[in-house]
Amino acid sequence: MVQITINNKQIDVPEGTTVLRAAEMAGIQIPKLCEHKELTPYGGCRLCIVEVQGVRVPMASCTLPVNNGMVVNTETEAIKKSRKFILSMLFSERNHFCPFCQVSGGDCELQNAAYHEEMTHWPIQPGWNDFPVDTSHPYFVLDNNRCILCRRCVRACAEMAGNFTLSVAERGAKSMIVADTDVPLGDSTCIKCGSCVQVCPTGALIDRTSAYQGHDEKMTEIKSVCVGCSVGCSINILVRDNRIVRIEGDWEGSVNHGVLCEHGRYDPTTEARKRITTPMMKKNGKLEPVSWEDALNAVKDKLQPLAGNKNGIAALASTRLNAETLTAFKDLFESKIQSGMVTSIEEGVPSSAVMKFSEKQGEFEGKLDMLRSADAVMCVGANIGRSHMVAGFLFKRNLNKGTRFINIDPEESELDELANISLKAKPGSDLALIKGMQAVIHKEGLERSSLTITNADEWIAQAVSASGISAEQIAQAARILAHSVTPVILFGKGVTAQRDEKIVEALYQLAVQIGAIDQERSSLLSIKGEANSLSAALMGLDQPFKLDGQKVTYVAVGDDYVSKYLVEKAAKSAYLVVQASYESKLTENADVVLPVSIWAEQEGHYVNLDGRAQKTAKAISAPENVRDNLDVLNDLAKRMNLALDTDWQTAIRGRKSSVSLN
Amino acid sequence: MNKPKIASDWICGCAGCHMSLLDMDERILKIVELADLRATPITDLKEPDESGVDVGVLEGGINNSANEEVAHKMRARSKILVALGDCAVFGGVPAMRNFCGVEAALRRAYVEAESNEPGSEIPNDPELATMTQTRAIHEVVPVDYNVPGCPPDPDVIFHVLSELAQGRKPEIKDDLLHWH
Repeated sequence: MVQITINNKQIDVPEGTTVLRAAEMAGIQIPKLCEHKELTPYGGCRLCIVEVQGVRVPMASCTLPVNNGMVVNTETEAIKKSRKFILSMLFSERNHFCPFCQVSGGDCELQNAAYHEEMTHWPIQPGWNDFPVDTSHPYFVLDNNRCILCRRCVRACAEMAGNFTLSVAERGAKSMIVADTDVPLGDSTCIKCGSCVQVCPTGALIDRTSAYQGHDEKMTEIKSVCVGCSVGCSINILVRDNRIVRIEGDWEGSVNHGVLCEHGRYDPTTEARKRITTPMMKKNGKLEPVSWEDALNAVKDKLQPLAGNKNGIAALASTRLNAETLTAFKDLFESKIQSGMVTSIEEGVPSSAVMKFSEKQGEFEGKLDMLRSADAVMCVGANIGRSHMVAGFLFKRNLNKGTRFINIDPEESELDELANISLKAKPGSDLALIKGMQAVIHKEGLERSSLTITNADEWIAQAVSASGISAEQIAQAARILAHSVTPVILFGKGVTAQRDEKIVEALYQLAVQIGAIDQERSSLLSIKGEANSLSAALMGLDQPFKLDGQKVTYVAVGDDYVSKYLVEKAAKSAYLVVQASYESKLTENADVVLPVSIWAEQEGHYVNLDGRAQKTAKAISAPENVRDNLDVLNDLAKRMNLALDTDWQTAIRGRKSSVSLN
Repeated sequence: MNKPKIASDWICGCAGCHMSLLDMDERILKIVELADLRATPITDLKEPDESGVDVGVLEGGINNSANEEVAHKMRARSKILVALGDCAVFGGVPAMRNFCGVEAALRRAYVEAESNEPGSEIPNDPELATMTQTRAIHEVVPVDYNVPGCPPDPDVIFHVLSELAQGRKPEIKDDLLHWH
C-alpha cells in the first residue's frame, strides 16, 4: 500500500493506482473526459490535471501512478484556471454549439464539465472548420464536428470489442476518427457492437433509434440480463413511456463489464416481427381471434384426455424462456401429463454431448473470465464471430498483445483472418484431429500431465487422413497450445451437434494434457446455445424431437426466432398449439395461438453458459391481451386441476452439471 | 429614489430571449419596482438614453454592420453590458453559416432555395447593412456578464436583472447555468 494525501485527505491505496482512481477512492471526483474506467488511461484531454507538491507543472492524474507520500491538490485556483483554459481550447476546435445537439442538457460530458467550471461562455471562439459526418452505419452516426478526440471510441473498439476498426487519421487539429482506412462506417469491418457509442462523452457518436427521444434523466433505467444467447451479458434497459428506447451494457456486469454485441444492443429496438396481441383459433382453415377462456379451454379439452399417455402429446419449449417457465413446462408435460416427448426447441444440440460426458466426469468446464487472461485460445466448431460474440470479445481484444488463436471450423468466417492457425478440417473429423494433437504433444514431450498414447504416429496419420490437414499444421497448432501458460479451449455447436461425448472427452484429455485443466482450474468451456440452454439441459429438456403419432403438439416458442426446420417438423402435427409472442410460419400453421409476453415484459431466471444464475427484470408492460409465459401454463394446469412446480433451483439440480452453478 | 436604468435590444437573434424575459410572468412587476425599464424592442423607446443606462442587455449575435453599430452604441451607453442568450454569448444558430461562409449562405437563401423565383439575386441595395461573419457580442465589444441559454430560462433572466438592479453581481451557476 502507498499513502497519498489528496486535498488534505490521507488515503492508503494499492501501488500502481493512478492519482485519479486514488482520489475517487477518497471520495474526490476529478473532472475528466478521455478517462474511462474500463479503458486504458490515455492522458489525452488533460482535463484531469492536478497539482502535485514538488512538481513544477500540473500533471494529468489519469496516467499518474501514486507515489508514497505524494501530496496532491485538485482544486487550487491555478488548477481551476487551467481546467477552464483546457475546456476553452476544446470548445474552440470544432462545432460544439449546444442547442442543436442530441446530448445537450445533461447527457454531454463536455457540457457538464463546462458547467462544473461555471463557464458562461467560450473565451476563444471556434475556428469554423467543417468536418465530415458519416451516416452510413445502420445503427449510429459519426459526427466528427462534435468530436473532442478523446479516443474513447478507438480504445473501446480495440479494448472492449477487440475489433480495431476505429482509429485516428491526420494530425493535430485535423485529426479525425475514421473506420479502417477511412472508409464509410457502414462499409467497414465494424461488427456493430455499439461500444463506441456507449463511451462517447459528446454527441460525436449518436445512436439512431434513441437519438432525440429524450434525455437520460427522462428514462427509467432497469438493470437486466440479455437473453440473446447463453453468454448472459448484464444490460441496462432505458425505458420511456413503456417503450425500450435504448439498451446499454452494464459496466458492473460480471460477464461483460459493459460490452455488448450487435444483437444484445440493437435487436430489441429494431424488432421487425409482428406482435400477436390476441389468442386465436383455427376456424374453417383460418385463424380467428378468440377469448383466452375459449382458447385455453380448447387446449385443455385436447390435453386432458391424453394425460398418462406416453405418446399422446409432443411438447417443445424455447430455451429463451426463463427457468421458472421451463420448470413449469417440464412439470406439466413430463411429470403431470407423462408425455414421453418433452424437450426443447434446441433438442439438446448444444448440450447433450456435454451432459453425457459430465455424467461420467462431473463438473469439468471452466468460467468465461479465464478468456480475459488467456495467452492461447483454441475454438473448435464455435463460430463466435457470428454468435456468442461477447465471448469472442473477451480474448480478441488481446490478440494484438500476443494471445494466440487457433480456429477449427469448416465454415469460413472472419475469425479465420484473426487466427494464427485456422484449420479447415473435414466435417466429422474432429475426434481424429484432436487425438492427433494429443499425439503430437505426447510425442514431442510437451505434456504437463501425460496421457497414455501407445501409437502416436498412427494417431497423427489418422488425423491427417481424416481431416485433410497436413501433419505440420496439426503439429503447429498443438505446439501453440502446449507452449502457452494459460490456454483456453472453447467448443461449440460444430462439436456438440455430433452428439458424440467422445469428442468432448478428447477435448477434456487434451486440456488436461496441456495443463488447461488441473486441480485448481478448468479452461475448457462449451459455448452452448440460447440464453437458457444450460437450464433446459440440466432439466433434461434435451432429447431429439420426433413426432410419433402424437395427437397434440404444444410449442412454447415465446419470443424466440422460429427456424424453417421447426416449422417443417411441427407441420406434421395432428393438432398444433403455439404459445408465441410474434407471428411466424409456425403460428400460421397452428390450431391455437396463445399470445405471450416478450423477455422484457416478464421477470425470471437464466443460467448462462458458465453456470451463473441471473435474473431478468420486467422493464415494460405487455399489450393488454397478452399474458406472461408462466401464467399461461399455470392457467392451463389449473383448468386441468393441476398445480405446477416452478422451483427451478431444484429442477436444474436434477442432473450432474458440467459447470459449477452459482 | 433613483432606480437603476435598464435598456435592452435584440440584434441577430430570434426574439426568443425577450419572449423568455416576458415569460417570468408577474415577476416582471418586481423588476419594474426595482429598476427603471427604458428602451427595449417591446416598449416605445427604441434607443438607450444618450445620458446612459446602468444595465444594457443585448440579445443575439452580430452578423452585419448594423448589428455592430447597435452593439457599440449599447456598450457606450451602458455601465454594465449583459449578453443574453446563446446567440449573444456564442453566436448561436446564426453562427452555423460561418462553417460555409457568408457568400454561400446568401446564395443558398436568395438564389438556390426552391422557393425563390427564377432569376432571383442576392439583394445588393447600398442602403442595406454589410453582412459579416456571425460573432458573439464579446468578440466585438467587452461584455460584463454572459448569460447563456437558448433561451435562458425566465428564472435565470429574473435572477440576473434583479441582482444587477440591486447592485449585486449575479452568479450564474448550478441550476441557473445552461447552454441549451
